[in-house]
Amino acid sequence: MTPVEWAIVALALLGAFFGAVAAIGIIRMPDIYTRAHAASKSDTLGAVLTIAAVALALESSLSTVKAVFLVIFMFLTNPTAAHAIARAAEDQGIEPWTTEDEQ
Amino acid sequence: MSADDGPGLYVESTIIMTTVRVVAPFVLTFALFIMFHGADTPGGGFQGGVIAGSVVMMLAFAYGIDSTRQWVDVRVVAALASGGVLVFAGIGLGAMALGGNFLQYNVYEPYYYEASKYGIELVELGIGGIVASVAIGLFFLIAAGFGHVTGEGER
Repeated sequence: MTPVEWAIVALALLGAFFGAVAAIGIIRMPDIYTRAHAASKSDTLGAVLTIAAVALALESSLSTVKAVFLVIFMFLTNPTAAHAIARAAEDQGIEPWTTEDEQ
Repeated sequence: MSADDGPGLYVESTIIMTTVRVVAPFVLTFALFIMFHGADTPGGGFQGGVIAGSVVMMLAFAYGIDSTRQWVDVRVVAALASGGVLVFAGIGLGAMALGGNFLQYNVYEPYYYEASKYGIELVELGIGGIVASVAIGLFFLIAAGFGHVTGEGER
């Protein structure tokens, strides 16, 4: 395998890992803020790493440019969406989860 | 402007406004791209129309629903929807008037040699206009409905 192929596999595996982390976070976290935290960070990273692997795997120039644009817009919009959701939740008066809620 | 009838006082977030301002032109371009490429690649009028309509929703999320509602001209939305229907029906029925079937593009080809290609594009644009305006209208309807259902008493 060439170094580029190793990089593609590594990026895709890392992306899948962070996607799984995001999914586990959304299921296991207790309230909307922690879930948004899990989803925004690791989901963005997972998607971006996976698309970076795609960009490397597509050696033709135009598709690579499209994939790079996708990466840029993922980085821009995904955290903004999470921010908007968290803001809206705060706006609605949803209390953040604390350890006292455990009992 | 920021005081809409929803629960609480909506204050615009600089982060969301800036991102929307940066992203919105690209999203609109992407919507047109999807619409124009519907004939030979995945995509088409429906998908592109939804993306075009989502630009207005993005603006509403960033700048507040009520100010966006005032900014969006109802006549433009209605004209988009009815104009899209007119384009679609006009092209479809025009083909029948020329002796073909509904939406049979190649009967236009004696008049313009690439009529099949551009006929499909025009129909996609028409569908896109319909879908975008209906999505915008539904969004504002739903937004108004939530404002009435969850009044001040909620939370």
